[in-house]
Formats: sequence, C-alpha cells, structure tokens
Amino acid sequence: MPSTVVAGSFCYRRVTVGKLSYMNVVVCVKQIPDPADPGALDPTTKTLKRDGKLILDESDSYGVEMALQLVGDSGEVTLVSMAPNGEVSGLRTALAMGAAKAVLVSDDALKGSDSLTTAKVLAKAIGRAGDYDLVLAATESSDGYTGTVPEQIAEVLGLPSVTFAKSITVDGSSIKVDRQTEAGYDEVTCPLPAVVSVTAGVVEPRYPSFKGIMAAKSKPVDQVGIADLGLDAGAVGWAGAGQEIVEVVAAEAREAGEVIEDDGEAYNRIVTFLSDLKVI
Amino acid sequence: MRFAFTEDQLAFAEAVRDLLGKECTPATIREAWDSPTGRSTNLWSQLADMGVIGLLAPEGVGGMGLAEIDLVQILFEAGRSALPEPLSATAAVAVPVIRDFANSAEAERWLEEITAGECSVSLQLSPNTHAVGAESARLLLLEAEDGLHLVEPEVVEFEQRESVDHSRRCATVSWTPSHATLMLRPLEALSAAKSRSAMATAAELCGLADTMIAMTVAYCTERTQFGVPIGSFQALKHQLADALLALEFAKPLVWRAAYSVSTNDPAAELHCSMAKAAATDAADVVGRAALQAHGAIGYTVECDLHLWLKRSWALRAQDGSARLHRRLIAAQLLD
Repeated sequence: MPSTVVAGSFCYRRVTVGKLSYMNVVVCVKQIPDPADPGALDPTTKTLKRDGKLILDESDSYGVEMALQLVGDSGEVTLVSMAPNGEVSGLRTALAMGAAKAVLVSDDALKGSDSLTTAKVLAKAIGRAGDYDLVLAATESSDGYTGTVPEQIAEVLGLPSVTFAKSITVDGSSIKVDRQTEAGYDEVTCPLPAVVSVTAGVVEPRYPSFKGIMAAKSKPVDQVGIADLGLDAGAVGWAGAGQEIVEVVAAEAREAGEVIEDDGEAYNRIVTFLSDLKVI
Repeated sequence: MRFAFTEDQLAFAEAVRDLLGKECTPATIREAWDSPTGRSTNLWSQLADMGVIGLLAPEGVGGMGLAEIDLVQILFEAGRSALPEPLSATAAVAVPVIRDFANSAEAERWLEEITAGECSVSLQLSPNTHAVGAESARLLLLEAEDGLHLVEPEVVEFEQRESVDHSRRCATVSWTPSHATLMLRPLEALSAAKSRSAMATAAELCGLADTMIAMTVAYCTERTQFGVPIGSFQALKHQLADALLALEFAKPLVWRAAYSVSTNDPAAELHCSMAKAAATDAADVVGRAALQAHGAIGYTVECDLHLWLKRSWALRAQDGSARLHRRLIAAQLLD
C-alpha cells in the first residue's frame, strides 16, 4: 500500500493555478564510455578512461523519456551534461529522442571532479537552461554509481528533492510522485520547482527516429567552460575534490556456493536464504 | 574519390542496431518461428516509426526521400539480427519499384500504407520458385512473361511450401496476369526489382555472416580443450581468418552495388550480381567455419547459431545462386 508524504515546502517560485500551461523540464544526463566495450582505468589517476566516444547513459534515457512525456506538446526539455573533450554524442541521442536543446560543460579543469563538485557545476549549468519547472536525473550513473548527485544538486539549488520516482504527475504548481520503496511505493507531493531522481525501467525510452536524428544535428548545444559558469579552477577537478582514490584492487572472486545435504529440512535453509536477500 | 558512409548513414545504422539489439533477440526469432506468420509481434511497427520502411519513399507520403546507399547499412543490420521481417522485399524493393513504376494514384496509396507500417510486400521473382511471407502480405509484386505486376492477395491462390528457416513462410502463387495489374514499363520494373532484391539479399547475407563470426569467436574463446580455449588452435584460427576475409571482401561489393543503384549507374545490374555472388560465397565459407568450430552443439536447435545459419542457407539460394550471378556477370562483361 502506498504511504503519503509531503516533501520540502519552501517553493519560492511562481504559483500557477491548475495544470502548468507550458512546462520546462531540465534533465541531467551523463555521457559514459560504451558499456559494451571493456572499460579501462587510468593507472595514474585511478579513474575511468574517457578518451573515446561517449554514449548516453542508459539510466538517463528513462529521465529523458519521462520528461518528454511530461511536457508533451506544451513544453520543452533541456539537457544538462558535464563531459570531457566537448563530447556531444550522447547528447545528440537524447536530442534525437526529442529534447529541444542542451547545455554542455566541458573543461580540462574539471578532470577528477568528485560528486559534490559535479553537482555544483551542474547546478550552475542548470541556471543557464532558462526558467525551469522541474529537474530530473537518474538515481545513479552506470559508470560511477555514487547515487548522490541529484540530491546534492537539489541542496545546492535550494530545491526540494524526491528520489526513486517511478511516476510523476504535475498538478498545478506541484507534482505528485510515486516513490519506489523496498515495500512498495510512497505517494509524495512536492512543490515546484524540484529535483527528482527517476528509477530505471519505469518508462520505455523511445528509439530516436531518423527524422529525429537529422533534426538533432541542428538543435542548439550551449558549450561552456567553468569560467562561463563563474567557477574557480581551484575549486573544481582534482584541486577541489574532497575525496581521493588511493587504491584500486580487483574484486574478490565469487566463492563457490554452499552445498546443503537435504535431511528433509533443507527447504528451511532456502527460505531463510531468500528471506535474508529480501526476495520473499 | 573518397568512398565512405556519411555521418547520417552511420547514425541511422547505429540506431537500427540499437533497436534490433534490444528488440530482436534470439528469443524473438524463436517466437517468430512458432508464430502463425513467421513474423515478430512489434518489430514492423517499430521499424516504421523509426523511418526505416519508408526510407526510400518520397517525403510527400511520409517517407525520407533517401537512396539505397542510405539503406544498405540498415539491411546489413537486419541480417546481423536475423530480423524475421520482410524488410528487404518491402523497403528495398517494393518501395522504389512502386515509386518509379506504379501510376501516381496507386503509388501514393501504397507508399503511404507501407511507410506507416500498415503494409508489407511479398515478391515472386525468378529464379525463386516461391514468394516469402505472401500470406501475411498486403501486396505482392509478381513476375510474369510481360513484366512485373502489382497484385493484391485477394486474387492470388497460395500453396504453402516448407523452408529450412521457419521464420520464412514460403508459398507458390497462382494468379492470372491482367493488364490492370501490369506496372508501367513492366520489363524495366522487373529488372529493377531483381537487381534491388539481389543487392538487398547480399547485404543481409553479409550481416548474417558478421554475426556468425562474432558468435563463433565468442564460442572459441569460451570453450576449452586440453586446458586452453579452442580458439588458440591453428586449425580454427585459419578457418575463422578465411571466413573473415571472405566477408570483408564481399562487403565493399555490396556497398558499391547500393551506390550504383542509388546513382542509376548503367552498370548497376552488373554490380548487384557481383555483390550477390560474393556475399553468397562469403556466407557459405562463414557458415561452414561457424558450424565446424561449434562442433556438435552447433547442430542443435538449442544453439542460437542455427537461426542465423538456416537464414543464410535460404538467402544464399534466394535471388539466384553465386553460380547464376557469375554467369550473369560473365554475360554482361563479354557482351
């Protein structure tokens, strides 16, 4: 059964009576190395190599799809991304899906940025996206997995944050979010603007059409550096990171499974095992 | 002259690869084998929504107004995924033939339906003795002595034929040619249909071969004998190297054929025969190597290899064998 929660109530923005007539949704998207290719770590920095072509993180495609469904024909989806080498391949995919424009932050000084720095940079970039009603992001990226950036963006922007959304409904100047939990889902009401992280798999991302692919080439991508965002090089990247990767070790090999001789009570062990995993 | 695919052409192929990689899995093909039509449930409409089926149709009927060189990589992708749909017959043959050789009212009507994904087309072109997917098609392009006819299935009788590939529902067709169904410039239309079909089948064969090599390399890397992966044995390395060589030599001929058809090259028919002969030979070499390397498991229906292998057997014979096309090449070069 769903439970009802009211999220942060410090909405400072416009109040709109009834459904928003025109909605601007910002979606934070990450461009990552293709998971189909074996990833490699830079032995010096111990971070993932991002030299080649980057693609749209699949976990972000759900946020893009949800945003496109929310705005329908009366709104606009703006992408915000931070990537090295002016990479736009992943952004073009999301633009081909139907997003209207993008803001890309690309600057050598950003190398080595931790999640909080990333959140600060993206928050600044969101400010360039114009007047927005909602910010969506994936719950976590497929290559970093910190799972903290959306909430950090919300904190930096001073906006309410809702996590693990499985559906979003706009109602006047607020949204109703079904928030996935281990037991089911919460029904959360939240004033706009807000930052919402979207659970993977909750919508079916559309495949870009050929017409969309061709149109995406002419959609605007506002590429900026940290100076354009008013950020100091000493406060971002390796210099500004509050964390350091000191060692990378191989994951432990999976151990052989436990073999249980059935004395007539083995099913209890199975039930206990599944229960510990919270499968049942 | 620099010949390379454009950014758009590669982006289209990548989009189709992404779609088919997720939606046309071996499980999808197995379901198609067991379905009444031999086809999948959703793929046709997804391909239509993407713009694949109407790629060569004019923009006025909802198409993209593009050319065969924009389509050929997509046909290759269809082969890579062993797509159980009449994509080549409909998108690569019927659309341009109807566009160029049907009267304007018929062309507009059918191209709109095809582009919207509401209509698939089946072909009966010699030397093929049967039509594939004829009973689920909304329209047929049929060969007669006086040229190519555009025929609706209501006036055709079908007799089912077995295919080694169960996603291909074959039938012989019986019908009475009439002036009403005859296309404009019917012999030219027939020639265009045959060339385009040979080119499209060649592209699919290359895609099938590409996946069979990938499957086999993966298997040879995983399967061990005498404590090492079997791919480390020279006997298999050489076979797979020969297979890759045959494929890589065939692909440029297929790309060239598509380019020649796109540009109305007077030698397009010759180039399509060269593509079909080379792709057929390549699929033969690749298929034999793949089956040999897989060993006994490769002969089972549980192993996915057979889905690709049987399609390649069917397509090798479709639109003329390698021997037939070599004869056509010789005839054209010596004339």
